[in-house]
Amino acid sequence: MARREPGELEHSRDRTTAAAQHVPVESGGVLAARAVSKEFSGVRVLWDVDFELRRGEVHALMGENGAGKSTLMKILAGVHTDYVGAIEVEGAAVQFAGVREAERAGIAIIHQELNLVPELPVADNIFLGREPLIAGLLVDRRAMRNAAQSLLHRLGIDLDPDVRIADLRVGEQQLVEIAKALSLEARILIMDEPTSALSAAECEILFKVVRQLARAGVAIIYISHRIDEVMAIADRVTVLRDGRHVVTAPIAELGREAIIRAMVGRAIDEHARRAAADRGAPILAVRDLSLEISRRQGAKQVLAGVSFDLHRGEVLGIGGLLGAGRTEILETIFGSAEGRRGGSIVLDGAAVEIASPIAAQKLGLALVPEDRKARGLHLTAPIRDNVALPSIGTISRFGFRAFAQEAALAKKAVTDLRIRCEGIEQAAQSLSGGNQQKVVIAKWLATAPSILLLDEPTRGIDVGAKREIYDLIFTLAGQGMAIIAVTSELPELLLLSDRILVMCEGRMTGMLDRAAASQEAVMRLAAPGGDHALRSAS
Amino acid sequence: MSALRLLSRTKLYWGLALIFLIGAMSSPVSSSGRNIFLSTGNLTDVLRQVSITGLVATGMTIVILIGGIDLSVGSVMAFATVVSAMLLTQAGWTGSALLGIPATTLVAFVAVAALIHFVFKGLARGKGVAIGHRADIRLDPMRGRILPIAGGLTVACLVIWFLSGQVSSKFGVIAVLMTAPCVGLVFGLISGVIIVGGRLQPFIVTLAMMVGALGSARLLAGQDSAVLPVYTGSNATEDFELLRSMAWGVIPVPGLFFIAAIVIFGSLLKFTAFGRYVFAIGGNEDAARLSGVDVVRVKLSAYAISGFLAGIAGVLFVAQYRQGKPDAGQGLELDAIAAVVIGGTSLMGGRGGLVGTLVGVLIFGLLSDILQLHNINSNLQLVLKGLIIVCTVLVQERNLGQVLAAFGLARTKGEVTGGTTGRAGQRTAALQQEGNGGNP
Repeated sequence: MARREPGELEHSRDRTTAAAQHVPVESGGVLAARAVSKEFSGVRVLWDVDFELRRGEVHALMGENGAGKSTLMKILAGVHTDYVGAIEVEGAAVQFAGVREAERAGIAIIHQELNLVPELPVADNIFLGREPLIAGLLVDRRAMRNAAQSLLHRLGIDLDPDVRIADLRVGEQQLVEIAKALSLEARILIMDEPTSALSAAECEILFKVVRQLARAGVAIIYISHRIDEVMAIADRVTVLRDGRHVVTAPIAELGREAIIRAMVGRAIDEHARRAAADRGAPILAVRDLSLEISRRQGAKQVLAGVSFDLHRGEVLGIGGLLGAGRTEILETIFGSAEGRRGGSIVLDGAAVEIASPIAAQKLGLALVPEDRKARGLHLTAPIRDNVALPSIGTISRFGFRAFAQEAALAKKAVTDLRIRCEGIEQAAQSLSGGNQQKVVIAKWLATAPSILLLDEPTRGIDVGAKREIYDLIFTLAGQGMAIIAVTSELPELLLLSDRILVMCEGRMTGMLDRAAASQEAVMRLAAPGGDHALRSAS
Repeated sequence: MSALRLLSRTKLYWGLALIFLIGAMSSPVSSSGRNIFLSTGNLTDVLRQVSITGLVATGMTIVILIGGIDLSVGSVMAFATVVSAMLLTQAGWTGSALLGIPATTLVAFVAVAALIHFVFKGLARGKGVAIGHRADIRLDPMRGRILPIAGGLTVACLVIWFLSGQVSSKFGVIAVLMTAPCVGLVFGLISGVIIVGGRLQPFIVTLAMMVGALGSARLLAGQDSAVLPVYTGSNATEDFELLRSMAWGVIPVPGLFFIAAIVIFGSLLKFTAFGRYVFAIGGNEDAARLSGVDVVRVKLSAYAISGFLAGIAGVLFVAQYRQGKPDAGQGLELDAIAAVVIGGTSLMGGRGGLVGTLVGVLIFGLLSDILQLHNINSNLQLVLKGLIIVCTVLVQERNLGQVLAAFGLARTKGEVTGGTTGRAGQRTAALQQEGNGGNP
């Protein structure tokens, strides 16, 4: 088990030399990343990123979804341990083997999903795993409670240390996380979208605590999508884009527009935009679509008041940040969303009730889900079985499978979509990401749908396959298919869409016509806290 | 290379052959110089022995293939033995008759109605459906609803007439063979409904059913864990002896049932849309649901089939051991699961099949037979069986090199031993190559 791969040895040697080549950080720098790169199973997500944090500053880290913010922070906090590049703390090169080591170096991370035990009181959560003990055996509850009390007091937080976490509001839980980090004597605090679930008043309290910490010399990395919030609290800002470092500057020098430009500002890539399609007859009219899911904490409205028309031959793009409700729109239409649905769907002039994917399929809808491995494919089954699955009910007679027709379907798919494989009997799991995606699309095209719903159709696939999928989408639209595409990549959204529906926090914040659409316009509508009046540029 | 791959793909059969060979070579020889293991009597006995486990394992395979598990099969089988024994030996409206007749009627109605509907749908579909067309066939009310219901009702009435005619005397073979499996099916269906409707873990639901069915069987049998003896010819119909006889003098009848179940349900898995759905759900339930597969119906069917086969096994148990008893099925579910897993069906679902289960059941049966021929202490037999299960599954799941490497006996390039550090190392090495200008 202790055997090391040859590559690993080389790699660690290389890392030490790389670290030695760098000059130490100038005074004031408490944490620095030098030329950090990282890849996940062949997909590179960070490219030689430099990052530097100074004592006592609030440093905002911004970027679109998938820009690499979270990955970089997880490397700094010791969550990811296999990367290329160097990390320095107080000028000394370090290599964390895990979260514990990073904590010992004074780095604490507060994740978006809080890591608290709901059934335990505040004090127990703060000192979880580090409880003060009497005679090395019994938990010294009184000492723990007092320590928690004084810690909370120092932070100016008015919380009872004996209250169970489950009885606190999310904002208060966030403050407990901060107290916990400080009890570890963290000098560097990483906060990943801390305000995403907070009310305005709770945000104010959080900001107060953050500023106070900064004054006390704690360096804070603050990840957020909300530009207004960053403008209000951060001293400096670093923007990442596509895994690369774009800019680091004092916040006063940049301003809102400059930050947005830095986040999205790549030139639209080499694909030519297709000519605007002739808008055909409307095929789908969605009115006031809503979705409410019930959680333990109560009901949550994840979708409200979404209305749009979809025409034959049109590609409607849906833009927005993660969690804005984009996927939920598709799933609600397709009948696969969990929760209470509201609103009406009119298909080809007739009001329909789509309660399940079975009903959706019969009505000629098709959904290519976001996560092809988890929701799109039977990975151990061959291409033939995967492609034929939605059609089997139709082509089987008296329940007996028509193997020849299934094979014909799969062969046609392989030829039409140029799926690179050894043959239709090859297992889906041994295909590349792009070819897997083509199989998922192919299985739906085999049902001859009139409306195709695509959720992140090009996530995690290479450039060549992306272009093929773009071409396929254009061809299908040209044949009169109506397509809704959700994508997080702005250039892709602009390239594909005839119109763009922008979502923010479960609400529709705008519908942009092709002519009016730009990355900046989409980003402005997608960012929370911005101008939320419904805009229509048509 | 391809020869090696062929060898590795068929290793299950080689395992069976190996066990058979070991049995033949090591077998004691009778006084007349005959190899006891290879004697017809011994081999048919093995088939007879494995048939009950085999039938249960057949249903279990389908349930495991959809990604579930059915722990209740032993108790359900035991319940069926009690029902069968009571129907055979006690005349009049006993609890078994009160339970069995409605269950059979219900199953007959649903099965016949569904079958008629299904056939009409198949007829309406026409021969050449163009590829890539949704054909949402809507049957007119006559053929879609009225005729199936009418047909179902007719058959249900026939069933009631036939079965209640037998109540006053005692049940015959055919009546018992109809009733007990349907009771088992209802048990399976109840498990399925709770699992699907309540979105609960199949493990816990069928565990509850295992306990519940055992209790019901004891209640039904009357006194606590009473044994209900069935003496064909004296307290029950002599025809029942048929179920433990030899067909054409060579194949034991229980074995015939087992082989028939393998062939019927094997074909169902292989050649029908239902079979494909079973694998699709086990492979990726979400993907299957999003592909318009009626996940609920397929899952319910799987548990119903499992219960049905456990019911048949119950009837055969009564024939074999001449008794019905509430504790008959203890440990049966574990034997069945072991046979399924030895047969190469993944407990995660979606991978495997009934041919493997047949081989798994035979391996298990031959093994017991060999150990018994050698007069090995029965407790030691259990220990050896446990060892064999682990070894077989190890060989099934990993290739030999990986197994050896896991115990530090050999080096391989595979990832199995490397753990996270190994993988991480490889990945970073690859990343570095790319960074050094090795970008393709």
